[in-house]
Amino acid sequence: MRALAIRSLLARRGRSVLSIVGIALGIGVLYASLATDAGIAASIDRTVRDLVGRADLRVEAFGPSGLSADSLAAVREAPGATVVAAALERRTYLVPAAGTPDADATAPPVSVLGIDPVAEERVRDLVLVGGTELASADAPQALIPQALATELGVAVAGTVTLQGADGAPVDVKVVGILAGEGPLVGTGGRTVVLPLHAMQRLFADPTVSRIDVIAGQGASPREVADAIAVALTSQPYVLSAPADVAASLRGSTADFRSTTALIAAVALFVGAFLIFNTLSMTVTERVRELALLRAAGAQRRQLVRFVLVQAIVLGVLGAAIGLAVGLVLAELMAVELRSIAAIPFERVDPSPSAIAAVVVIGLGVTIAAALEPARRAGSIPPIEALRDRIDPAAARRARLRWLIAVFAVVGVAGLVAWPRDAGSAGLIRSGLVYTVLFGAVLTAPFVLGALGAIAGLPFRSGLRVEERLARASIARDRARTTLTVGALAVGLAMVVAVGGVAHQSRLAAAAWLAEVIPGDELLTSIRPIELDDQGIADLAAIDGVQRVSPLTLFEVARNGVRLDAAAVRGADLAADGRLQFVVGDRAAALKDLDAGGVAILPRSLADRLNLTAGSTLTLAVGEGKVADLRVAGIAERTLPGQVGESVLIGWKDATAIFGVPGAEVLAVRYAPGRMAEARPTVDESARQTALVPNPVSAVAGAVDSALSQVFGLFDALALVAVVVAALGIVNTLTVSVLERIRELGVLRAAGMTRGQVRRSVVVEAGILGIVGSILGIVTGLIAGAVLVVLSGGTPLIIEVPWSSIVVAALLGIGVSMAAAWYPARLASRLAIVAAVQHE
Amino acid sequence: MAAILEAHGLAKRYRLGGSAVDALRGVSLTVDEGEFVALMGPSGSGKSTLLQLLGGLDKPTAGEVVLQGEPISQLSDDAATKLRRDRTGFVFQSFNLIPLLDVTENVALPFTIAGADTGRGEIAERIRDAIALVDLDGKEHHKPDQLSAGEQQRVAIARALVTRPALLFADEPTGNLDYTTGTEILEALWRSCVERHQTIVLVTHDSKAAAYADRVLVIGDGTIREEIVLGRRAEHDTGPLVRRLAELGL
Repeated sequence: MRALAIRSLLARRGRSVLSIVGIALGIGVLYASLATDAGIAASIDRTVRDLVGRADLRVEAFGPSGLSADSLAAVREAPGATVVAAALERRTYLVPAAGTPDADATAPPVSVLGIDPVAEERVRDLVLVGGTELASADAPQALIPQALATELGVAVAGTVTLQGADGAPVDVKVVGILAGEGPLVGTGGRTVVLPLHAMQRLFADPTVSRIDVIAGQGASPREVADAIAVALTSQPYVLSAPADVAASLRGSTADFRSTTALIAAVALFVGAFLIFNTLSMTVTERVRELALLRAAGAQRRQLVRFVLVQAIVLGVLGAAIGLAVGLVLAELMAVELRSIAAIPFERVDPSPSAIAAVVVIGLGVTIAAALEPARRAGSIPPIEALRDRIDPAAARRARLRWLIAVFAVVGVAGLVAWPRDAGSAGLIRSGLVYTVLFGAVLTAPFVLGALGAIAGLPFRSGLRVEERLARASIARDRARTTLTVGALAVGLAMVVAVGGVAHQSRLAAAAWLAEVIPGDELLTSIRPIELDDQGIADLAAIDGVQRVSPLTLFEVARNGVRLDAAAVRGADLAADGRLQFVVGDRAAALKDLDAGGVAILPRSLADRLNLTAGSTLTLAVGEGKVADLRVAGIAERTLPGQVGESVLIGWKDATAIFGVPGAEVLAVRYAPGRMAEARPTVDESARQTALVPNPVSAVAGAVDSALSQVFGLFDALALVAVVVAALGIVNTLTVSVLERIRELGVLRAAGMTRGQVRRSVVVEAGILGIVGSILGIVTGLIAGAVLVVLSGGTPLIIEVPWSSIVVAALLGIGVSMAAAWYPARLASRLAIVAAVQHE
Repeated sequence: MAAILEAHGLAKRYRLGGSAVDALRGVSLTVDEGEFVALMGPSGSGKSTLLQLLGGLDKPTAGEVVLQGEPISQLSDDAATKLRRDRTGFVFQSFNLIPLLDVTENVALPFTIAGADTGRGEIAERIRDAIALVDLDGKEHHKPDQLSAGEQQRVAIARALVTRPALLFADEPTGNLDYTTGTEILEALWRSCVERHQTIVLVTHDSKAAAYADRVLVIGDGTIREEIVLGRRAEHDTGPLVRRLAELGL
């Protein structure tokens, strides 16, 4: 029986290959998703190692001012803190060496890290590829990463010149070259490491940004943390452990990882359709042969095994090729991720157990998809062998309810493969989307007739007979059509859903920028600019500049929870027409903001904190003290902070209560129509005062391009599902042609041309494509809405992603009609004589 | 009467693996307008092959078929398709109706294929007439699965006759039917011949079916072994034909 099963697969080589390719693509996406997940996990671990090294705890300054010498002393004296490594991190510019031909004023800034060489060595390894370590905490020496050394053409014993306090140039001697990009993650290697005290002198800044602590003397990190909490009361600070850093990084990648896993599940589900369809067709086609076997004494279970053996062969081959496809996909994803990830992405191969899981999942899905056809094979009565003609009865056709088994198996597979630390929110979201997609497949048989009639309309005027025949063929086996259309719809739905989410994100980002930023251009500074700085007044005085608004983002704490805050000038926002108020009087609230004692909340935060206009927002200000601010109003959106939208606070409070030293961003609003003329002067003036000009359109463009890259990756994965669905269409149309050979022969005998026959198959594919597209687009819009609504944070703007819809429709119809090429050719080349005699 | 169809020295050779099989070895015949001719012979005698060549479904290895004075054996695919659409009709052993189309739509198929409007004018009239000829009035809107086997074959005959072809080819049209139903079909064919002056070439191995013909050509080993002229008869008893076949030892 086993040999017969394999021979049966070989006899239908084309279809077997299609099924193998289908399952291989599904498995490939799953493998790539797991490999990427493993890569992200490894990258996070490495980043965490780079960030905190061997430290058990990290104390970071909270807010714009650093930790004072007193705070450092308090940590040093905390019982159990055996190693205390303080560091200061600032950004500045390199001063080009005199006479350098390409002295470039617009080169990006560098990060300067001041470390205590002795303590730092015990916390983390600074790997040198040349030169020596820093000799003391005082000497004006520097270590620079290889990347920067190459860029500047500086070797050991060379000199780099930094802009120090007040922009004065300071020379430091390079004593060592660090491996790779150096110790600071995300700087792209633009880092200069100095001894802590030397750096504090250089920047005239006696504070430190962070203190890494190793616990010892029998004290646990927890006990040391408690001791620090007791000792450090004069300043607000953030205490974190490596696990917290890792968790926060994992949190930031959770959405990406859960979406990849969801698309993998969808690709696998679509692959399962193909297997289900292939084996179903085999059983339907071979009814007489299987009945003959029964008549010759084969038992039911032998026929069941006949189908299952075929499934296993397809599954094993599919899994093997799928692993190879997955390797390539994973490599492509790694390339893409390296260009978009905030942390250096490293590609790692999944563990052997994960590879085994992929193979088991692939086989499991294939076998689950084969259960129904196998059951049908077992239930064929021997009498079928005696019938004159094979006329597939309804009972022998595929039962859609068995799809539920496949759905469940893929769902379980999804749970197994789910990124462990991606959080439950992503799981719930993906689960719901998956259910929506499945619901669409189950709805398909009920809407097929109506949608088929609509889909036939475009063909009816020019290709009436072809359209009629095509619809007749589609109605021949509703279960098969449902599966084919369902697979296509699911693939296209993912394209639309991803497009919908991308569209929402872009709109939200664009609306956000337009609604909250009081300027056409942002000038960013690496040092706070005091509000009475002459530079601001000079910029505002340039002809064509209407207004210059100082802004700064900082952090505040409420009940021990960090919140983003922004210092803004209410009068500027009022005059510029920014902010949409949902609660409170805009004019009054913005006026009160400048007077002090109030805050304006973004709607998302107000909802989360359950605050409204008139409520009191209590924020920690250090030394155990708090500041009470009245909520003057709630805006639809406010300035974007690091993790959410910011609480808006007037400059008066920001400086006096929260110690914000000055503005980090100046928003420049040009007089209407004068931007082009005034901008060069503004930009020039900005550069002279070490400000970096960024037009808001460029910021929007950067946001847009980052979003495009991430969503492009998702689109590419969703496209794999569409390709698998296309294979299903080739399969279905081929069988549809083979089933109708005699009918096509009679039509040819009655005067139908080869062209008409070919067109009828293409029209059939077109109708399948249109039906799949309609169903896929509607499902995708629902799935996209589910993703957007459940992802929270981003305010929902109901907008239809027309571009994705058009892409999905063109893709659906195009892919289907391309898939018709082979079956159409087959149909048009049938010899009439052979066709009419076909049994 | 004028000859409507002529065959001159038709031969057909099939390649089967390394060897060649001669299905027809130089067959010549003439069919007159309005005549009912049966090609009769045992399985493998070459009668179906002959019908396929006469109907332009296949090309001969040698020889020529002339339909209404025009040689048709070497026509291009498009020209042969047009010929089938305009001048010939076919009925096969299996009915091959389109399941989704009702009786009227199935009968109208050749017109639909040609892109004609089947809902009005002379074409609609012809469709109604063809359905009436095969006695299916009142079942115009039945789907194939609502019809008996005989009724389905009658729809196939109506479909073949609806274009009023010069020639109707029928290949074992009663092969799948029981005695009574088979008789219905033969009666329908006979009526079209008598009432519409339809020329018919029928392939059969059944003497009962062949007894409806004016003339029977007995095929064996790829040649015409015998010509039996029965003449036009109101009754179709098989006696004369069977006797003549017995005399020939067939």
